[in-house]
Amino acid sequence: MRALVAAAIGLAAALALVFTITTIGAPPGETSPKPLLTTVPGPKNQ
Amino acid sequence: MRRRASLVLLAFAVFFAAMSPLLRWYAFPRLAKIPPSQYQETVLEAKPATLLDYNDNMKVKTVPKVTIVQTLKGNVEESEKIERSAGRDVVVWDALSFVAGPDGKMVSQIPERYIFDAHSQAPVHATGESVDGDPVRREGIEFKWPFLTEKRDYEYFDAQTRTSSPIHYKGNRTFHGMDVYYFEQTIPWTKVPMPKKMPIQGVTTEQIAKTGMTRWYTTKRMFWIDPVTGAPVNGEEIHKEELRNAKKMGMPQDTMTVFAGHVKMRPDYVESIVDLVKSQRLLVLLLTSYLPWGFVVLGAGLLALALWLEARSRRPDGELPDGAPATAPDPEPTPA
Repeated sequence: MRALVAAAIGLAAALALVFTITTIGAPPGETSPKPLLTTVPGPKNQ
Repeated sequence: MRRRASLVLLAFAVFFAAMSPLLRWYAFPRLAKIPPSQYQETVLEAKPATLLDYNDNMKVKTVPKVTIVQTLKGNVEESEKIERSAGRDVVVWDALSFVAGPDGKMVSQIPERYIFDAHSQAPVHATGESVDGDPVRREGIEFKWPFLTEKRDYEYFDAQTRTSSPIHYKGNRTFHGMDVYYFEQTIPWTKVPMPKKMPIQGVTTEQIAKTGMTRWYTTKRMFWIDPVTGAPVNGEEIHKEELRNAKKMGMPQDTMTVFAGHVKMRPDYVESIVDLVKSQRLLVLLLTSYLPWGFVVLGAGLLALALWLEARSRRPDGELPDGAPATAPDPEPTPA
């Protein structure tokens, strides 16, 4: 019985963590203020 | 004490064993997505190229270089609007392909709005989906392949013809130390619309259309795709454009080459994109492979440890389990 309770706690913790992470997700951010380019850019900085 | 420890270990073992499939098949499809605010520029060059010089008596010239600057800009406000009606994560890319001659001046430019599912990269049809101001309805992919790209043909949208056709998987290649999938698509000679912005002052697309002159195009498109992220790490095109019935516009020949060249990504952009893809690839692999397999091994290890502790706690010569009543030793036998 104790083993079953321990297993249930482990499973519930895993479900709670994954559901929380996927629900929060990543913030969408903002549209970049940079323009669509109409000139040829110089060498790309690494 | 040992029994309590084994129960805690059992809880952790179940936690990690459950995390493994949950990460791979529940979290990954929901977490892996293109951010709606992405901004990316790519520079491609054709060296040398054949180019029609509109400003020098319509002469077809061989020039040292033609540059194509392609910008993709995520429009967050538009994606949020479309998400509300579509009920899923959507990305709206406002794109511009700006073609510059050897002097850096505009040869043509084609704006696009590409709307797609942030997770699967499947096109989403909404108002505003367009190429050069013309409404289109895309089928298949454009610019990027889905996460965990498969070894198969995909439908790929061609912005010039405004149609989709298969892009064929042609095998694996090694590119900058990465194992990538190579895809190829050939668009046969096809009549395509004139770009809305031309390098000739005072001439509109409508005026050209009235003369009966037409624009034709063919290309062989090649992509090297990182199969984990679905991102192109290299792209090339063998591209040809012609004007036909050109004498009707007063040109010296009836068929005039507008542009011909082998377009390749500029090396500094290849380096930059490879670096970006390698960092993103690690994140995807963490969710699809490293963490799930690591958790399986960890879960199995913890379970084994829990069972071992439990078994030890039950041995007669071992420590007594917590809360077990102490029993008196058996009395010595007495002679009858």
